[in-house]
Amino acid sequence: MKKRKFFSAVMACSMVLALTGCGGNSTTPTTTQAPTTTASQETTTTAATTEASTTTQAQPSGGEAVTLKWAIWDQDATPYWIALKDAYEEKNDNVTIELIDLGSSDYMTVLATQLSGDTSTFDVVTVKDVPGYATLVQKNTIEPLDDYISKANIDLSLYGGATDQIMVDGKLYQLPFRNDFWVLFYNKDLFDKAGVEYPTNDMTFEQYDALARQVSSSDFGSSVYGAHYHTWRSAVQLFGVLDGEHSILSGTYDFFKPYYEMILNQEADGICRSFTNLKTEGLHYSAAFSGGDVAMMNMGSWFISTMISNLQSGDYDSSLCGNWAIAKYPHAEGVEAGSTLGTITGIAVSTGASNKDAAWDFVEFVSGTEGAKVMAETGNFPAIMTSEAMDIISSLDGFPQDEQSKAALEVSNLYLEVPYAENVSEINSILDSYHSSIMSGEMTIDEGIAAMNDAIGKIINK
Amino acid sequence: MKSARRKAIVGKVIVYVILFLLAAFMIVPFLWMLSSSIKSDREVFQMNPFVWIPKNPRWNNYVEIWKRMDFTRYIGNTALLTVVVTFLQLLTSSFAAYSFAKLHFKHKDKLFLAYIATIAVPWQVYMVPQFIMMSNVFHLNGKLTAMICLQAFSAFGVFMMRQFYMGIPDELCEAARIDGMSEYMIYLKIMLPLSKPSLATLTIFTFVATWNDYLGPLIYLTPNKANWTIQLGIKNSFIGQYSSQYGLLMAASVVSLIPVLIVFLILQKNFVEGVASTGIKG
Amino acid sequence: MSEGKKKEETVQNEALIKGREQKERRRTLVALSFIAPNFIGFAVFTLIPVVFAFVLAFTRWDGSNPIQFAGISNFTKLFSDKFFLAALKNTIIYCIGTVPLTLIASLALAILLNQQICGRGIFRTVAFFPYVASLVAVTAVWKMLFSQSGPVNAILYYVFHVENKDLPQWFVGNLVMVSYILFSVWKFMGYYMVIYLAGLQGISKELYEAASLDGANTWQKFTSITWPQLKPTTFFVSVMLTINCFKVFDVATLLAGGDNNTLTISSTVLVHYIYQKGFIEWDLGYASAVAMVLFLLVLAVTLIQFKGEKNYANS
Repeated sequence: MKKRKFFSAVMACSMVLALTGCGGNSTTPTTTQAPTTTASQETTTTAATTEASTTTQAQPSGGEAVTLKWAIWDQDATPYWIALKDAYEEKNDNVTIELIDLGSSDYMTVLATQLSGDTSTFDVVTVKDVPGYATLVQKNTIEPLDDYISKANIDLSLYGGATDQIMVDGKLYQLPFRNDFWVLFYNKDLFDKAGVEYPTNDMTFEQYDALARQVSSSDFGSSVYGAHYHTWRSAVQLFGVLDGEHSILSGTYDFFKPYYEMILNQEADGICRSFTNLKTEGLHYSAAFSGGDVAMMNMGSWFISTMISNLQSGDYDSSLCGNWAIAKYPHAEGVEAGSTLGTITGIAVSTGASNKDAAWDFVEFVSGTEGAKVMAETGNFPAIMTSEAMDIISSLDGFPQDEQSKAALEVSNLYLEVPYAENVSEINSILDSYHSSIMSGEMTIDEGIAAMNDAIGKIINK
Repeated sequence: MKSARRKAIVGKVIVYVILFLLAAFMIVPFLWMLSSSIKSDREVFQMNPFVWIPKNPRWNNYVEIWKRMDFTRYIGNTALLTVVVTFLQLLTSSFAAYSFAKLHFKHKDKLFLAYIATIAVPWQVYMVPQFIMMSNVFHLNGKLTAMICLQAFSAFGVFMMRQFYMGIPDELCEAARIDGMSEYMIYLKIMLPLSKPSLATLTIFTFVATWNDYLGPLIYLTPNKANWTIQLGIKNSFIGQYSSQYGLLMAASVVSLIPVLIVFLILQKNFVEGVASTGIKG
Repeated sequence: MSEGKKKEETVQNEALIKGREQKERRRTLVALSFIAPNFIGFAVFTLIPVVFAFVLAFTRWDGSNPIQFAGISNFTKLFSDKFFLAALKNTIIYCIGTVPLTLIASLALAILLNQQICGRGIFRTVAFFPYVASLVAVTAVWKMLFSQSGPVNAILYYVFHVENKDLPQWFVGNLVMVSYILFSVWKFMGYYMVIYLAGLQGISKELYEAASLDGANTWQKFTSITWPQLKPTTFFVSVMLTINCFKVFDVATLLAGGDNNTLTISSTVLVHYIYQKGFIEWDLGYASAVAMVLFLLVLAVTLIQFKGEKNYANS
């Protein structure tokens, strides 16, 4: 008897919990519907005010004090959060932006957990990556922005096609404000020493491979690695998506093969460090490149500001890596130069935001041209790459002086490292895992690709 | 006689040699922490097994950590949390354990199994329901109280104390019962004094677990910077999206390790033969 | 026997039984009052969420949207899930290797450091060190020792004349598990040593003295006194070790994960998979189903150990 009582008590308790859990959630569908109605209502008011005057639009809540809680990471190490906050507050003195730092290492996990408890914890959230974006959208924790976007007449083509790759059933739930794209970093001194021409902004993969082999040397004491690939899968397999025909969402991955072959051959010939050693020793790519024995390294544009600031502070030895420059990514035969990979950082409105109009206004500011200027001034790449922003970055003190480096910032086609798909988190982790298996030699290239095709094919055809 | 003595001496020497070898093997990570804490980030990344003392040791790292984050505050939070949790854990666990080890009631074994069984469930699985409950029912999100509630009533403590009480002969309790002592008095006057080594063990474990916990504070305390603990502060301040400051991270880790080592060094004195054995004969 | 007498007897018996029942109820109440402070906190903050998590195994839930009942579909999916099966296999291998080795090492360490030696406190602290030192530091050191050109491979090369190309890669393929096991024994033996140290203090000195008089040697003393007397402690250590080994997570991600915590078929473990499913993909139902399997495994092992303890207590 007692046992049954105990059990039923536990069940009762858990039911209460389940109910509160559901209770908290059963409101979600209503809130997801609510925004459409409130949005359309508010839209009419915004539309009215837009017609009336443009100055009131900047202050949607009509001067009453508003506080927006904004989820971010690395507040002390990243200058643009405060810069964006200050720039916005200066323009809207009734609004206070409260920065809430969730740390970078587990940012998306913490954010999604917090929003599971209560979506009103934050008004505005930064979205670190696309798998995280997919999670937030599917959990109904961020607002669709389409109504706001069409009301504010935002031209999405400014984002260079990035927004198309994060559409969810035709709707957009975030706007990018930062966009890092991959370029080729190289160490001029090593090319000079080897008497080899610098990389150019228009190289095919064959030319690139040949160049890496030419510049490397195995002389004892002064050995040089022609290339360096960080352990991320983006650094190797995503060469394959640059032709614009293939995508990591396709479900068949045979197009990775030539690139795995190229890099594993380089590894076998000592042209680049071995994947396994990099992983075991935990050698950071910045340490590899600044060590002065890596001639070329493909990496995201975020590394530009790291190089500049560390060379200025003296943390990197300028005699080893001070003479650096960048070039455009190599490309496949018959494809336009300047196609590269991108990673966007987005900003979104939480479904629990207490004042969604005010939150949207801030999102619009950060992701728009004004935000872009702030981003560029702090040495970061805004999602809207205006020529003004590009000039600001290329004239930063410490940016490579040659014309080619400046021209390398022009991107012709941007392919997101991870575009949106319903199961993108799962696809992403499967690709990561088999990438590791192939690179470490646990599987041959063919076995690894077959395993990818099999596992992801199952998900896509489900 | 002489050969016996020689044998004893040889034995001692062998013991010491083994001990020193083991100690050397065990202490390497600490030396590595010390060494990294005075290196620049680049030097830490290089991982050269032969450079333990850098050319230009950066003692400044130990000054810098206090400036780069609110270290004093984080230490205060962690200390408060650790002391409260440890105290509650000791009190409630030893209390409950006495009942499981020395008293009789129906379904004792089943209840006890339920305790152990929950230890087997990884926290990652019930973390989300737990978090939703804590934040929506108890409104404790961001508060130190949340961490206290979660860590002070662990099944681990009950399990451990029960096992130690099992080792104390039942005759001791029986004799006291015949003398008319109440169960509460038996617990207080007989069991507690006898369980000093195990109380010390539980203190050490709870102290270390709470002090070094990262996942719990990460989920519950992250949004409220004023309540950050040391581990949270260290990770969020020195591990960045694109670059981490390992030199500072290690300096802060070394500092945060000192209280743990002091507590251990003091409490291990309780592991002295004879503490528990006196009186056990009954 | 007359009717009346029978009645009288039953009345008497009933009174007796009632008295006994009352006494037993009092005893139960006292026993429960000891448990209550811990149990209430434990039930509210741990047991309810745990039970809830079990219910979740039969649902689809992402932590925000309404819960959908999914029957046993999560469990049927498990058997065709390559990563799950690999994680299960790896975790079991890891446990089989780690549990006995750590148990032996920690007991030996405890006996060694329970003797009268100079600087005993310092030695004990040092042995506890790998457990408390920052995980980043501990894994960095371990990886350094076992890296391709590290000291361990250097010994293999110079002392055992293993050819350069045959030198093992300790963090790839089948050897990953060996690395996990060796690392875990080293890291955790100080922890379990502390438990054994506490257990050793509970053994009466008189027992050893009596054995010495009987002319028992060290090994005989160990098998006839130390080991049997430590049974409750060993039960505790082996259960906790088993549970903690099944829950291995940090060790795997730090040793083999790299900087985005990616594990392959040969290095993945159950809790990493649970984390992946639960917190990266937010498929909490499926994560709970995986955890159920883990739970049942641990429960089975624990019940066997529990039986063993009971037998000891009865004998």
